[in-house]
Amino acid sequence: MDFGFCLSPSSHVQMDKIDLATFNRLKETNPDINTCIACGSCTATCTAGNFTEMSFRRILLMLQRGKEDEAKKMIQRCMLCGKCTLVCPRGINIRKILLDITR
Amino acid sequence: MKIFDPFVLPFVLGMAFVLTYCFVGLIKVILQLPKDDRKKFLRSLVTPKTAWANIRDLFGDCLFHVKIWKRNPILGYMHSAIAFGWFMIIVIGHVMLFTLKPLQGVEIEGFARTFTNFYYPIFFKYFAEEGKIFGFLMDFFLLMIISGILIAVVKKIHSKIVGVKRVTKFGFADNMIRFALWTIFPFRLIAEKTNIYAFWWLYSIDLLIFMCMLPFTRYMHIPTEALFILLRHAGLNAREPRKGYALAQIYSCPSCGLCIDACPMSVNDKNSGNTSAYFMKKLRNGDTEEAKRIAETCLMCGKCVKVCPVSIESCDIKFSQRAETPYYVNSDHSYLDVILTEAQRSGEISSNNNKVLYFAGCMTQLTPKIMRAMKKIMESAGEEFQFLDENGGICCGRPMILSGKTAEAQAMIAKNTELIKKSGAKKLVLSCPICYKVFKDEYHLEGVEILHHTQYINELIKTGKLKVNKGDVNYVYHDPCELGRAFEIYDEPREVLEKAGNLRKAKSEKELSICCGGSLGSFNLTQKERDEITCNSVADLMFNNPDEIVTACPLCLKTFARKAPVAVKDIAEVVSSQL
Amino acid sequence: MKENILIIGGGAAGMEAATQLKKLGLTPIIIEKSDALGGHIAQWDRLFPAFHPAKDVVAPMLESVKGIDVLLNTEVNDIQCDADGFKAVLTNGKTIDAKAVVLATGFDLFKAERKQEYGYGIYNNVITSLELEKFFRTGKDERINNPKKIGFVHCVGARDVKVGNTYCSKVCCTTALKQACEMKEVFPNAEVYTFYMDLRMFGPGYEDLYLKTQRDFDVKCIRGRVCEVSENMDGRLVIKAEDTLFGKPLKMTLDLLVLMCSMEKNKSIDKIQQQLGVANNSDGFMQNRDMYLGMNGTAKDGVFVAGTCTAPKSLPDTIAEARSVAVEVFNYINNK
Repeated sequence: MDFGFCLSPSSHVQMDKIDLATFNRLKETNPDINTCIACGSCTATCTAGNFTEMSFRRILLMLQRGKEDEAKKMIQRCMLCGKCTLVCPRGINIRKILLDITR
Repeated sequence: MKIFDPFVLPFVLGMAFVLTYCFVGLIKVILQLPKDDRKKFLRSLVTPKTAWANIRDLFGDCLFHVKIWKRNPILGYMHSAIAFGWFMIIVIGHVMLFTLKPLQGVEIEGFARTFTNFYYPIFFKYFAEEGKIFGFLMDFFLLMIISGILIAVVKKIHSKIVGVKRVTKFGFADNMIRFALWTIFPFRLIAEKTNIYAFWWLYSIDLLIFMCMLPFTRYMHIPTEALFILLRHAGLNAREPRKGYALAQIYSCPSCGLCIDACPMSVNDKNSGNTSAYFMKKLRNGDTEEAKRIAETCLMCGKCVKVCPVSIESCDIKFSQRAETPYYVNSDHSYLDVILTEAQRSGEISSNNNKVLYFAGCMTQLTPKIMRAMKKIMESAGEEFQFLDENGGICCGRPMILSGKTAEAQAMIAKNTELIKKSGAKKLVLSCPICYKVFKDEYHLEGVEILHHTQYINELIKTGKLKVNKGDVNYVYHDPCELGRAFEIYDEPREVLEKAGNLRKAKSEKELSICCGGSLGSFNLTQKERDEITCNSVADLMFNNPDEIVTACPLCLKTFARKAPVAVKDIAEVVSSQL
Repeated sequence: MKENILIIGGGAAGMEAATQLKKLGLTPIIIEKSDALGGHIAQWDRLFPAFHPAKDVVAPMLESVKGIDVLLNTEVNDIQCDADGFKAVLTNGKTIDAKAVVLATGFDLFKAERKQEYGYGIYNNVITSLELEKFFRTGKDERINNPKKIGFVHCVGARDVKVGNTYCSKVCCTTALKQACEMKEVFPNAEVYTFYMDLRMFGPGYEDLYLKTQRDFDVKCIRGRVCEVSENMDGRLVIKAEDTLFGKPLKMTLDLLVLMCSMEKNKSIDKIQQQLGVANNSDGFMQNRDMYLGMNGTAKDGVFVAGTCTAPKSLPDTIAEARSVAVEVFNYINNK
């Protein structure tokens, strides 16, 4: 509810307004994407994550919460080494999704 | 004496068309070559070494099809009977024209004589007598061609006879021109033997159909392969997927489909459409979307390149195709700049040049057994060594390159180079063939010897530093793609395993080894599709009932371990257990 | 006429089914491949959720099968079916005629070395949940030397397509928390961590167990899957995981890592199962007729299933199934 005297914007994720176009596009070519159980294996093993804040688990969440720009910024760190894909217990083709997000 | 008949016209028309087309195509390819490549190409034509190789392969590959003979003699005979036989009847036709001189005394001059010379050898028997010797030779080669065609007909009906399980599926045009090709020579034989006028027409019209369709079908490989051989010997690399050198390769692909059986993906019939034969076809037809999809599905195992009778470097073309995909987010690896090695942090930079530097690689981090085994091996050999990435390292850059982003891999390559150079080591040992490939191809580490651990262990054994006890376990060795086909490291691992136990053969070995299915080369394959490939490869390895499967790649190891009925080990693990 | 019922497997399900069948007037015969009855549960020390001694459950079971034919160290080599019933040839050469067969073959524990990244069989101080139970029972395990920091890894070999098991193994969450408490009892000064994805505390008293771990034992639960284990210079374990709730990857040094291995189908029975015409379901366990009214039946008349051969189950589930299979067999024999 907007009372008209809010000085700072709400910190809520505005679920009513978010744009899921990218996530939906990914879902079409990678139907496994929704099987993620957010176990964090991808993030824990990530070669880039050893040095930076790179987390595929969070990238997936960002895309589902309308934070596409943040996700794309994070992806820049990725080295595409494929460890995440190798450890994912759900068999999600993470390397492919990472590439698909950026094109 | 007859010197002309209207039935020669279809042939003349077709031949003129095909010659013009080929000439224009030749100019196009040469103009599309990057400047330095063009220079390289022209120079190679006059360099004695490459010129000799050109002549050798033009005969060996285009006419005699030596590579196909090696693969399957019946298939080899089929190809060389048609190609060489056809070549010979053209040559003999011309020889007859110049030795028997049937046109002597005939009053034709200038263009008319050239025109007559153009068609005369093709229809010689209609116009003049061949004589006994030439007549015999002509009949002999004509029958040779027809025998080749008979095999082709049988192959079409039942391809397994010539050792081919799957063949390329063709469209209307390809089927039509094939029918034309099959009938040209029987028509000629009938025309020559019976002299029924209508068959001379049929023969000529068949030639017209064949030559007019040639540029638009797979048979374009006949003229193009000659150009491709010259370009290949010049040492060029495909830089764009549809231009210059790649274009020559695209048209050189005969769609023979030998790569379909070879491709590990073909284990699932649905995926046999993702093989190189179809990739080249899509490129030729300008179906970029499909070509892109196939390029990104390919495992990049390189087996199709090894079995290709034309030696088409389809993996290189796939790389250039991948590089064309636009990305809207560029990598930023500037964070690597601030990374220091353990030694730099502690302030002790060793200057010991005898030290061995060990780089496990990302994948090996997930197979601690390999790292353990390498440590034990180096310790027991009394080597002084240092781990470059014991607590996690930087990716070698190969996975990035595999996605077509060669430029974006440079930051990683630069940082790893820096760390290695700073270590002062003169010997770098790698456990992962994926790393090995990029270290060999893209890194500039002058003065540093780069070894995969299979080579290194073999060296340690040969120099007597490492003593291995022979056990009685039966091993089978799987050649990882990037170690085997890429660098032909076939003997070292086998020598090592012979020392540690008994080596049994897989069904397909060395350059024919089947990819484990785990390759980072493919982006599109699903887990299930990969599993099918893995199971097929495992079955191939289990051919002689070994007790253990041994490989030399952490990714192969992890992939096989999921599906193998016996233990899967890295060669380092095997050696360390036999010390 | 003597109505022989062949029960393959002498674990909780097999014993309980035999006891009930005998009470119903039939003649059960238990074939057990190992040298003792009791199955996996006999190797357990205490049971969740209330730390009930396992032997208090196993002992009465063993007592009640007395007088029933039990063949230890025996397996079925071959089994044929005709109009009269089943003819089983055993490894000891004997042949048994039976009117019905109950498959109570149980489970195999997931082989932890298959997840090489967890370091089982590589590092000395990585053990399985079963081995820890043995330690509780016997007080002996040379790998457990007064650990200061202990980690439990959930879902080892479960919910993991990379090992081919997509299912949840059902009992490992509760077992992990039970064992975590017990470790705190044995080593009160140790810090105990569990690495979970979801804590599936689905049964009566299970949530209480969870509350106990938090209130009384201070077990620290971190939501994230361990993905790599290595060893440092001192021979301690270094694990990597993401703390998914905090949103950052973490590294931790541990003295002991316990892998909560999942249940897998017992594959030693595959040949007999094939001869009987009982298929596997998509999880690789035996396919029962359906999971409701037909949970003890199979596609083959006269062949019944009970216990963990059809899916991972807790002990109470198994006992309940064993009792229901007895009724099913009884009805089958009487309606024939």
